[in-house]
Amino acid sequence: MNDFSELENELRKLRPARPSPVLFERVGEALSNCTASVSDAKWARWRLRRPSYNWWSLGFSVAAAAIVVLFAVISLERQHESDTTVGQSSPASEMRRDARATERLPVTSRFVPTGGTNVVYNARDEGLHFAGGSERPVRRVRYNTKQTWRWRNPETGASLRVSYPSEEIVLIPVSGQ
Amino acid sequence: MEPIASHENWRNCFSEVAPGLLLFARQWVQSAADAEDIVQEAFVKFWRRNHNIDNRGLLYAAVRSIALDFIRRDKRRTRREATVLAEAEPAIEPYFESEDDTQSALAAAVDSLPRDQREVLVLKIWNDLTFGEIAGTLGISQNTAASRYRYALINLRKSLQPQ
Repeated sequence: MNDFSELENELRKLRPARPSPVLFERVGEALSNCTASVSDAKWARWRLRRPSYNWWSLGFSVAAAAIVVLFAVISLERQHESDTTVGQSSPASEMRRDARATERLPVTSRFVPTGGTNVVYNARDEGLHFAGGSERPVRRVRYNTKQTWRWRNPETGASLRVSYPSEEIVLIPVSGQ
Repeated sequence: MEPIASHENWRNCFSEVAPGLLLFARQWVQSAADAEDIVQEAFVKFWRRNHNIDNRGLLYAAVRSIALDFIRRDKRRTRREATVLAEAEPAIEPYFESEDDTQSALAAAVDSLPRDQREVLVLKIWNDLTFGEIAGTLGISQNTAASRYRYALINLRKSLQPQ
């Protein structure tokens, strides 16, 4: 590089344009604002150390749990009014009941039922029984089912699906012919 | 952590490096005001993290990165303004404080260099970075940095020779 030393010296004599004095003020001001930023960062670190709760997901979980409880109650009622219907899909009466239940919710959290399935994955014939001291025998059939219900919030597009197992015992009167 | 604003030595550091930083930033932007914005952002970011000027390569890398972001951001605005400015005479602010015709000619020769050679030259001559630091700043090898510098000097000599 020695053969360029003269040229390099000439180049070094060229002085780059000086920055405007305003730039120093701006940088000073920006660095002063950093003090606030440091405090913010400390605050953020302190918040990180605290056990953090995601309030949104917590609220959503509570709402989902409430809906599950609601449907458990509905299911129990349904068992009391049990009939011989097996393997039905989206029973209209229940959907209407669900719709009435959702109507009571606030507008922002209103989920509209979009469908439901009731899958019987096991049916066991437990033979003839005389229920409650009755003289007429009844055939007792135990059904194991998995019910799934789906809702959708038309405003937010969020969907919710709840699945739970259930057991249903159906007593079928037997008449001798 | 001490308040950063109380570190008055930033002023000494900044006054030392600011002219070279501005010159480096102007490899990407024509306007001195834009270059000052870039330098301000880079220096503030750098100083907040480092509090000293030892690792200079990072500062120049920050200038380069912010300048490239600026160009990307500014592309739309430039396109919009191009039609307005097309008729106006472009006001190009000088890169150097030239004292005589020889220096003006030298400044013009530097300006006419290809960008990759010019940025190495700017970092080496007016910012006193080593080839290792230049390589780190530009993301190239030391050999590439050295050869670009050499080509820059060869081209400068060629363009300064009397025809």
